[in-house]
Amino acid sequence: MANTNQAREGAWISAAIAPSLILLLIVAYLPILYALSLAFYDKSAFRPDMEWVGLANAEWLLAQKDFWAAMGRSVVFTLGTVGFQLAFGLFFGLLLNQAIAGRSVMRSLVILPYLLPTIVIGLVFRWILNPEFGVVNQLLLSSGLIDRPINFFGGIDAAMPSIIITTGWQYGSFAVLLILARLQSINPRLYEAARSCGAGTWRCFVDVTLPNLRTTLLLIALLRGIWMFNKFDLIWIITQGGPLQATETLPIYIYEIAFRDFDFGRAAAGCVAIFIILLLFSFIYFKFFNPTKEVEVNR
Amino acid sequence: MNRIVRTSGATGRRVISRRGLLRTGAALGAGVAMPGLISRAAWAQDAKKLTFISEESSPKAQAVYDRINADFEKETGIKVTMEYPGFANIAQRVATLIASGTPAELVWYGTGSAMEVGLQDQLADVSDLVSEFDIPDNLRLVMNGKDRSVATSQQFVYGWYRSDLYEEAGIDPYSDWPGYLAAVEKLNNPPSHYGNVVPSAQSGASHLLMETMMQKNDAHWFALNDAGEYEVALDQGDNFSRVVETLEYLHQMHQFSPEGSNYGWGDLMSQYFTGRVANSYYVGARLLEQTLANAPDLAPKTKPISLPAKATDNYYLSVQGFHIGAGSNEDGARQYIQFFLNHPAYVDWLHSVPLHIIPAKREILQSEAYQDNDVIQQRMDVLEFLDSIWGKGRAPYYWDGDKLNPYVGVYQNDNLGGWMLAARNIGKQDAESVVREAAEQIRTKMADLR
Repeated sequence: MANTNQAREGAWISAAIAPSLILLLIVAYLPILYALSLAFYDKSAFRPDMEWVGLANAEWLLAQKDFWAAMGRSVVFTLGTVGFQLAFGLFFGLLLNQAIAGRSVMRSLVILPYLLPTIVIGLVFRWILNPEFGVVNQLLLSSGLIDRPINFFGGIDAAMPSIIITTGWQYGSFAVLLILARLQSINPRLYEAARSCGAGTWRCFVDVTLPNLRTTLLLIALLRGIWMFNKFDLIWIITQGGPLQATETLPIYIYEIAFRDFDFGRAAAGCVAIFIILLLFSFIYFKFFNPTKEVEVNR
Repeated sequence: MNRIVRTSGATGRRVISRRGLLRTGAALGAGVAMPGLISRAAWAQDAKKLTFISEESSPKAQAVYDRINADFEKETGIKVTMEYPGFANIAQRVATLIASGTPAELVWYGTGSAMEVGLQDQLADVSDLVSEFDIPDNLRLVMNGKDRSVATSQQFVYGWYRSDLYEEAGIDPYSDWPGYLAAVEKLNNPPSHYGNVVPSAQSGASHLLMETMMQKNDAHWFALNDAGEYEVALDQGDNFSRVVETLEYLHQMHQFSPEGSNYGWGDLMSQYFTGRVANSYYVGARLLEQTLANAPDLAPKTKPISLPAKATDNYYLSVQGFHIGAGSNEDGARQYIQFFLNHPAYVDWLHSVPLHIIPAKREILQSEAYQDNDVIQQRMDVLEFLDSIWGKGRAPYYWDGDKLNPYVGVYQNDNLGGWMLAARNIGKQDAESVVREAAEQIRTKMADLR
């Protein structure tokens, strides 16, 4: 009898969980599994059938110098954008944590870039930084700082830094939000204690603020690192990986294999490569930067 | 017996077995997904439905499609569902539908893109329709002796210039390479305006300029060998010299152009109608349409002209037409093509971008019905220009030989001509090494084809 009740209850629990599980299965795990499986097949976009090729796609990918070049650019892009966002977040977080006039308005404004659609940001920045019509070039020219326009997104040397700044500007708000929230939760007594020991502003920042922000900064670095490594839309909208592959990161490279060469199998192998890289990155993060450390110290 | 629930000994909590839960979820998931999959398959087989993907998506064209489709449904009972993924995305959309096993019945787009699909045996034989509508030979796409495309329209790559600036400068419109170079040099006055526009990006706009100028110089990507097979010819013999000469010429022209290292088709038009350049080019007359819309004062001064000839007077030919997905509702698609091309609104469809969508047949171009349009009446000079170059266009897959070249996609999908311009003009690599590297890129890709 007890067993029957337990079975019935279990069935009810299963039925209650099943819709969420099915949804998760359909929208998350099945596509991932399908993409993983595609990496082992010769799958042309122009054929409904596919042929098992084992690790041939991975071997092909690893032998491509374009793959490694794209990987290098992805690392540069990720480090650049995450670094920019951390600096941006720290600066504005500290600023907006002060009792300054117009703080509420500034807090609202600083979140604005994060709320704007990526397409809008891409097109706006293309216009702002346009070599012929862009306001930045016009200002630089009229102020005499430059004597010919800078091709921000079209110059081989300028394109990557320009993309990094644009992306960093859009997502810096995220860092501001998290850092500001953490700053507001730091116990003021810690600062009082530091000052009573003779600490100035700088020492308070180094000895109180930064240790308390450690987890937040690491969390931002992890999350933004993963998101930036996967970043596709803004780069594609602005440069499509150009000029001359100067901004061709791994997601752009993989997209081109899929939809320029129409080879889904090799593109899937590229996606698996990104997945493995991010998995390793997360493993290193949790292994060497224990994010719970600070919480334990505070207790 | 596998139970869904087991009891955790120490706590007495009921823990759902992972296997049982996954089994339940999988069963429910399959139950949810299966009807969808079945209905997708059923859609592909349904004789009363057609999926039609069109590259042309201007509002006027869409309105004509709606009219024709309504009449078609009334007459045949077949419902047509339209998709407009746009010029940049149509190849991807077609490919993903094929990959998922539900090919579209009809696709109207460029034969160059369609060829890639045809090479994988995914296009139906339409030889009967090509005969019925007497499609000109230079617009046909023949694979294994069978037609795979019903051409409806075509475009050539040609130049557009500001006649007022030429008159002010006292120079005649160009006809040869030295003449064009001299003209753009004289009309160049940076940074306010430039002599011409040479986009130097790995874009379609850039690639087609390189490919067109190669045609004008009788330079080839491939050549047929003694065995009748296509081989890379870019870096071979005299052809190599002609390719290098073409690239070097466009490099010289680039000195009188905005840098254009990220220019696409839109930039060719916007640079022109904003008055930034005296010369531009396009595949067809969309540049004129955009000038009429954005800078009407400039439109009367905007004249068509052949890009300068050197060794040949060939024109890069872009052909568009109907393509039927193999294994789809082929009969329904055939009926639709016949209905569409015989429908009185077909001419309205050609007028949706006047003078840009050029009919496949010359008699239509010269017909009263076609010429009965305000824009065409105002710009009979453009129509006369098109008539004067009729038949000189050569599609890229027939440029290197009379036999269809199946490797065109290897360099066209990569916009390799655009890469060559970018490497020379932006990367400052010398022309010979750029051409050699491009040839190697093609060979590597060909060796990699599977």
